[in-house]
Formats: sequence, structure tokens, C-alpha cells
Amino acid sequence: MKVTFPNLGSMYIFCKAIAETAGIPYVLPRPTSIHTREIGEYSTNESTCLPLKIILGNFVEALEDGADTIVMIGSGPPCRLGMYDRIIKIVLRDMGYDFRWLTIPGIFNLQAFLQNHEEARILRKELSPSNYARFPVAIITGWKKMLWCEHLEKVAAIMRATAFNPDEVDSILAKGLNAIDTADGIRSCASAGSKAVEAIRSVKKSGKAPLKVVMVGEVYTVMEPCINMDVERRLGHLGVIVERSSYFSMNILRGARVSRKVLRERKRLLELVKGYLQYDVGAECNFSVAEAVQAIKRGYDGVVHVYPFSCMPETNAAAVLSAVGNDFNFPILPLVIDRQDMELRIDTMLEAYVDIMRWRKDGRFL
Amino acid sequence: MASVSSEIFIGIDVGSVTTKMVVLDADNLEMVDSVYIRTSGNPLISLRIAMKRLAGTSPRPTVRAAATTGSGRNLAARLINTSIIKNEITTHTLAAVKTMKEVRTILEIGGQDSKIIIVKDGMARDFAMNTVCAAGTGSFLDQQSSRLGIKVEDMGEIALSSDNPAPISGRCTVFAETDMIHKQQIGIPMNDIIAGLCRSLVRNYLNSVARGKLITAPVLFQGGVAANKGIVREFEEQTGHKCHVSPYYGVAGAYGAALLASMVEGKREEFRGFEMLDGNYRIDSFVCKKCEERCSVLRLYRDGKPVSFWNDRCGIYSTGRSAH
Repeated sequence: MKVTFPNLGSMYIFCKAIAETAGIPYVLPRPTSIHTREIGEYSTNESTCLPLKIILGNFVEALEDGADTIVMIGSGPPCRLGMYDRIIKIVLRDMGYDFRWLTIPGIFNLQAFLQNHEEARILRKELSPSNYARFPVAIITGWKKMLWCEHLEKVAAIMRATAFNPDEVDSILAKGLNAIDTADGIRSCASAGSKAVEAIRSVKKSGKAPLKVVMVGEVYTVMEPCINMDVERRLGHLGVIVERSSYFSMNILRGARVSRKVLRERKRLLELVKGYLQYDVGAECNFSVAEAVQAIKRGYDGVVHVYPFSCMPETNAAAVLSAVGNDFNFPILPLVIDRQDMELRIDTMLEAYVDIMRWRKDGRFL
Repeated sequence: MASVSSEIFIGIDVGSVTTKMVVLDADNLEMVDSVYIRTSGNPLISLRIAMKRLAGTSPRPTVRAAATTGSGRNLAARLINTSIIKNEITTHTLAAVKTMKEVRTILEIGGQDSKIIIVKDGMARDFAMNTVCAAGTGSFLDQQSSRLGIKVEDMGEIALSSDNPAPISGRCTVFAETDMIHKQQIGIPMNDIIAGLCRSLVRNYLNSVARGKLITAPVLFQGGVAANKGIVREFEEQTGHKCHVSPYYGVAGAYGAALLASMVEGKREEFRGFEMLDGNYRIDSFVCKKCEERCSVLRLYRDGKPVSFWNDRCGIYSTGRSAH
């Protein structure tokens, strides 16, 4: 058995840590490249969203590298009618690949449990008692590593916007993530993490006051820089601190529905959009709107709404957000992401948006 | 070129279809010259033509500062050596506000993209730009005029001569073209078809680009498509507002860039645009195999020597972190 998983920002560090600690063989997905995207585009319907194409490409590359078991995060309706993960599975079978499939439910309910139970039946036989025994430690190690990665990314987002040389922050971040990834055990992971955070915090500052925006939208697009065309980094280089609406750990906590605090937070967010949305549109739509409203109320300088072209829930959110923008007299930047060759256009829009934010804040943009 | 004062500011807008240059007198910021040429897929050559025209004046003017804009702004800035690089949205706003102080809405339709900019107190407050769809931009009009065998410049007049525009689907250029051919084949006169095209283009713009944005008067129309009177008429009919066409519509972006060049304070780089006339410039590309990304790195040669690299995601070439 060789397990593989999708590329999703720094999530591979989490998955890798679990597999490694529990002693399960794994294949790391190759970094997403133009080739990955081409595989996805070639094998799916043209109107399918970019995240699905890229994840499909990741899996094909991993299968070619010798993986035989795919672990995928499931999603609820109405994103691809709740069939997001299963569509990938069907396409891969059509392409002639032989593999086993395990869905980690996006939301833990009975249906998800049954599906998971069915899929895991054969897999469970291949795991040895020692794998099982090490599993709790593996989960904790993975979780800790992920929290450190996310903390590091958050610090980097702040420092990039204020650094004299943002490139320096990028390179320390890359090194830091690598150090956390290769750290052996929880204690050395913590030391690698805190060392990297310290290194990033100590870069030379530009002295310019940064702007602050929140990036809302479709989960994969918000989290994976290869899908959102590095919006977070691009904005950072323009002097903007980007806060994401989704971090991987956050999504797990939301899906698991165990933390009271997270549940309360979600409920409170939904209250904010009562005037705009009366029921749950599905996926992250309501929360995209809610987080935008919250950011406006909390005095952020901007809201960037990223979503893949043809994404149904977020297209709805975009329409609502434009009404929100009018009501609050607050410009919200929608970024519809589709293809790589849009980079130039994205730069233009981000730069213009930064000019507008500067003008609103300081009365000048130079 | 007419008489040019000795010190000037210039703005260069390298767009997808055309390259524009505006020359401002450094003392009174009056526009003394403007250039509007086709990029023809080669910004290097079009930029060189612009530089040649500028250098043709005697005595050769001194450029106090230069700024670039448009989709080719980074390349142009590299070639003329300036650090004042600005997106089209901001430069168009600067030009519009200078032309019409009280402007509230700017409609801009260029070669490859169309934008709407909402202005308040002399600065952009909100904007939208076409994203995944190119329907309703100048290059489509261009393409259709050459298919119909007419000049794109005459399209507006022909459209105005129609009282009964044919319904043309405007959602997508491919369907619009199919629809136009169909209308042609059943014998609908050309002026009605062209007027119908203008109508559907404006409808598409208002539905997709300007969706959710409140259009308030005064409205100023910029970009190359503003030359088309049929489009202007449609905008007036469909929005119900008087649609002013900027006197500098074609070069508005370059004008804004030139104004920006005059505003930037501090140390400025030495203008090296005239060197383009003497040197032999060439661009090629190679695929970097250092990682999985496989970037097509672009390389600028001057007299056979590579002087600049870009388009590498990691910056290994462009920042010169490694020996090439």
C-alpha cells in the first residue's frame, strides 16, 4: 500500500507527518506545475472548475509515481452536487488507473461514516497492529506540524507586507516550512517552527504602514497558491497583509463539529448575513459573505473574493458581495480564477485595488 | 513632430493591440504630442517607432521622467529604464479626472479588456474588469470589420446610418459571429448588422463588466473603442446618461502615465529609451529545468548580450541570485 493525497498549500506536511509516524508508505504529490494543470484540463470537461482539474492532475502524477491508494477530502453539497471527490474517482477509473480510494468526510455525519467504513474495509486489513498503535501519536504530530506551518504562514503574511525586501520573507518561509516538515517528533518541530518565526520577525522593515485585507472564497482557491495564482504573495509584495478565511486546521475543526468555540463562531458569522442570505446556499458561500461583512465592520482596508470560474456557490456569493459592497460603500475585489495566463490581468487588478485602498486610507496613492 | 519644449514628461501605454505615447511639456503639463501605433504583436518594434519619433525633433528633448502602463508595462519599463510603472486602471483615472474634473464613471474599452471605473473625489473608488471573457472588446470589432471588408474606423458611421439594428447575440464572440453570419445570409443590410453588433456589445458590457455597479453621470468614455460612434450612441441609449467621449480617448492611458510621471517625486532613473534606436534588441525564451515549474524564462539581448531576464516565478534569473 502506498498512500497519496492532494496538494493543498502546506497540507502535505500534515499528511506526510501522519503517514511517516504511523509507518504507512506514502507518495508525496509532485508540486503543482503547468504539466499538472494540463493533465487535469485534458481529462475533464472544459467547464469544470480549476481546483478539480489541478487535484486530478496531482493524483495522476502521484499514481504514475507509484501510489496505489488515494486519500481525498470529501465535500458536501452543492459543490459539484456533493460529488466533488467522486467525480475525480470516476475520471481516474475512466483513464484506466487502478487504485483504492478513501474519502475523509468533509462533514462527519452518518452517511459519511458509512461511506468511509465501506472504503476503509480492505485498507484496514493491510495495516499492521503497529500502524494502529502509532496512529494517535501520528495524528498529534501531524496536527502540531500543521499548526506550526499555519502560524508561520500567518507571520509571513504580516512580515511580507512590512519587510524591506519581501523576497527575503518568501525564502525564509520556504526554508521554515521545510524545517518543520523534516523535523523529527513534536519537540524538534516546535523548535524548528519557533526558530523560523523568529527569523521572519527579524527581517529588515520598510517602515511603511501596511494595508490589511481578508481573502474569502472557495476553500481550495483560498488555500492553494497554485490555484489562486499566488494572490497572497502578490498582495504581500504590494504591501498588503492578507488574512485567509480558510486554514486547513480551521476546516478540520469546522467539519469535525467538536469544538464548541468553532461552532459558536460559525453561528455568529451566519447571523451577520441574515439581511442577505436567508438559507444556506452551500459550500462556503454564506461564510464568504459573512467574513466579508465582518471584515468591513472590523475596519479592514479591503476584501478579496477568490473563486474558480464556474464555481456555483461562489458565483452566488459574488453577486451578494457586490450588493454588500454597495451597501457599505466598500469596494470588494472579485477574482475569478481560471487559467495560468491570467497572471498579468490579476496583477493589474491587484495593483489597482491597492491604489484604491491607499487612496481611501491616506487620501493619496503614491 | 511639432515644436517640443526642451524638457518633457512622457507616458507610454503598451497595450495588447496598440502602443501609445504621450509627451507633456514639463513646465505647464500641456500635451505637446501623442503617438498611436499598432503593437502588431511586437512591443519592441512599436516602442522603437515611438522613440524614433521622439528623437526626430531637434533639438532632442530631455526626458525629465517617464512612466509606463498597459499590459506591456513591465517590458516597456525595462527597455526605457524607469521605475514608474502603473496599472491601466489608475492611469485611466488620472487622465479622466484631468480631462473632466467632475467625472463619476469611466467606461474604458480597449483592445483586449474592458473596464468600468467608479470615481469619487478625483480618484477611483471601485472598478471592474472583464475576466474570463473577451466578448465586447476592441479586437472583436477589429476582427469583424476585416471580415466584413470595412475599416474599423468607419464602423461607427455605418452603425449610425441604421435605424433598425439587427438582434445579435452578445454573450460570446463565437456566437455573435455565428449570429452575424446568419443575419448576413438571410439578407439583412450590413449597417443593421453592425448597429446590432454595437448594441449587443454594449449590452454585454453593462451586463457582465458593469454588473452591480451604479453608473452615475457624468460619464466619460475612453479607450480605442470610443472612436466608434455607434457604441457611444448605444451607451447613451442603454444607460440613459450623456456619454462624453474623452478628447484623448485613444491615448488616455499614456496621458495618465505621463501625468503620473510628473507627480512622482524623488530620484528618477536616467531615461534610456533613445538607446533603443542604436542598440540591437532581441528577446528569446528558454524553459528552465531547475524545478517542476518549467517556467518559460524570457531573455532580453542587447547587441547580442543578455541584459535582462523575467517571467521566472522563483526570481532566480530576474533577481540574478544565481550565475546564469
